[in-house]
Amino acid sequence: MRHDHLSKIRPDRPLPVWQRAGLAFVSCALTSLLATPLLGHLDEANIVMLFLLTVLILAVSLGRTAGVVAAFCSVGFFDFFFVAPRFSMTVADGQYLITFAVMLATALITAHLAAGLRRQAEIAARREMQTHALYEMARDLGGALSLEQVEEITRRALLTSFGAEALLLLPDPGGALLPLSPDPAAPRPATEGPLARMAFDGGQPVDGTDLTGRPIIYLPLKAPMRVRGVLAVTTSDAPAGQLREWQALFGTMASLVAIAVERLHYVEVAQSTQIEVVSERLRSSILSALSHDLRTPLTALVGLADSLTLLKPPLPEVALDTAQAMHEQAARLAGMVGNLLDMARLHAGQVQLRREWQPVEEVIGAAIKLLGGSLAEHPVRVALPADLPLLEFDAVLIERVLGNLLENAAKYSPPGSPIDIVGRRLERAVEIRVDDHGQGFPAGQTEHLFDIFVRGEGASLKPGTGLGLAICRAIVDAHGGEIRGENRPAGGGSVAFTLPTGQPPRIEEETP
Amino acid sequence: MSEAGQACVLVVEDERQIRRFIRLALEEEGCRVHEAETLAQGLIDAGACKPDLLILDLGLPDGNGVDLIRNLRHWSDLPVLVLSARTQEKDKIEALDAGADDYLTKPFAVGELRARLRALLRRRSRSGEAASPLVEFGKVTVDLSRRLVFRAGQPVHLTPIEYRLLCTLLAHPGKVLTQRVLLREVWGPAYIESSHYLRVYVGHLRQKLEDDPAQPAHLLTETGVGYRFQP
Repeated sequence: MRHDHLSKIRPDRPLPVWQRAGLAFVSCALTSLLATPLLGHLDEANIVMLFLLTVLILAVSLGRTAGVVAAFCSVGFFDFFFVAPRFSMTVADGQYLITFAVMLATALITAHLAAGLRRQAEIAARREMQTHALYEMARDLGGALSLEQVEEITRRALLTSFGAEALLLLPDPGGALLPLSPDPAAPRPATEGPLARMAFDGGQPVDGTDLTGRPIIYLPLKAPMRVRGVLAVTTSDAPAGQLREWQALFGTMASLVAIAVERLHYVEVAQSTQIEVVSERLRSSILSALSHDLRTPLTALVGLADSLTLLKPPLPEVALDTAQAMHEQAARLAGMVGNLLDMARLHAGQVQLRREWQPVEEVIGAAIKLLGGSLAEHPVRVALPADLPLLEFDAVLIERVLGNLLENAAKYSPPGSPIDIVGRRLERAVEIRVDDHGQGFPAGQTEHLFDIFVRGEGASLKPGTGLGLAICRAIVDAHGGEIRGENRPAGGGSVAFTLPTGQPPRIEEETP
Repeated sequence: MSEAGQACVLVVEDERQIRRFIRLALEEEGCRVHEAETLAQGLIDAGACKPDLLILDLGLPDGNGVDLIRNLRHWSDLPVLVLSARTQEKDKIEALDAGADDYLTKPFAVGELRARLRALLRRRSRSGEAASPLVEFGKVTVDLSRRLVFRAGQPVHLTPIEYRLLCTLLAHPGKVLTQRVLLREVWGPAYIESSHYLRVYVGHLRQKLEDDPAQPAHLLTETGVGYRFQP
């Protein structure tokens, strides 16, 4: 049913001109034949009427050409068969010339009007069909749940209504326009990339011919937000002019497709956001559960080992040493677990920077204090220029960076040697350097110091997982800074990181 | 202080082994110890035993410890020491803003626990005494009645805001004051988000009062949380 409907959008293939002319001639001849017996009974004026009726019917049913041919034939037959002298083209009475002229004029005007009327009716009917086809397509697209369905609906609508083949070209993540069609057997136009690209970029339809010489139109899929792709339409059995005539209609279809594609795009965005939220939540809860479950026994272990040293009467010295060693090992284990969880959190993007404007001096002091005992053998000297600006950073995380760097410096330098923290103002950043007086980094390894789980050669003698510097880099990266290590010419290793300067907030002067 | 001069401490912590070593350390300090495993039980015990100090783990299975502190603060000013994991800065601040006095980050050394405990109990026992107008720390003497500050005998000039900030810190020795509290007390409620003011002015105070401003001994930073005055 629907197919019948839609197929009428295409105008009926009219008969060839010579057939229509022939039919008009034959009809006029038949009219003459029927009218001949009436000649005695009817006035000649009424016979003229019969001919005019024939012209009218022919014009309505076969169009203007047939009507014009019929008009001339009618005048000819009327003269030949009915005007004296009969069976001759000559006319005895000159008045008949006026009759012929009026008859011809009337017939021609009738043919013209009737044919126009027929054409108007046809156009109206076709418009109605087109509207209906668009409506059906819009309805189907409204329910489409995937791009494949959208393409299928579009292709079917264009094929049944226009006999046209359609292909949907959508940009892939890289921006290249690629056909979507899952069915390689389906008829599809051979498209040309550059022309499709032109339509996509320009937002205007582009005409062309495909590789087999058929006319093809590239229609941009203009959706409210942006151009979503290109619809290529071609037809093998309509002339190029016909395709252009339909272009407005194709344009409307293209915008329907565009809206459907955009709708699906946002559905997808919404879905993936939801999935991301769910998996983030899962990751976060796993991390916090892990963190709690690991930390609780470690806290108990550290505390219990500690409390052994408090027992009264005191334990023998050997036992006390053991308790002290247990405490140290448990504390170190706790530090490693902390590092691992930090790394996991940083990698999972779980860490939200709490950036605040603050002097860097304060966080340096806090880091030194936090390390406390492990720095006991290394005097820390801080040298900061007096004019350092406020910097915007997350104090807890930068304290962690400094803590890790100080811990490393202490671990890899001989007892009693000092550790220097030196600040320096660069053009668009402030550099903080931690220098030790140890052996420095092994040659050629400074590049990879900050890779996860990489430890310096010979470092295996010292405890540590090699996570510390990787965490430092993750934190400094998150702040938009840089971190690198080098050996100082004077000996000893040095790690420097930068924090970008910005526009610190103003501080109102105190009014005394 | 309860009978026999023994301080009574309530420990709310769900892990038995942690409770065990805390109890050992507290008894070593001469305290009586009550234990509670859950928030609900902790709240009941806090009312029933009238402890002198509450040690509260923030990560309890039956709810948020901060709620307990808020509830407690309606009817009691007993000192609260909070135990929390390192990654929970937000929880610490919340607990301190709700009225907790100090916090310890897990895992912690027993020595540290005992030091905090002594400081909190000392403050509690001292709260009844007549306050002296003179506060001394390091080389610094602050005469609160005359609003004068001396360092090694020499007068030090402080701006009004610096002096107000110093007094606020001195008023709560050993207690962690969150940025929020300090900003509200010293600058007023409109400045609660302007933490850089606080940082800059603490820096000024350290420059004027500390021996090594980069490694302060008395005006201490609790990174990400606030400040503490250590006498």
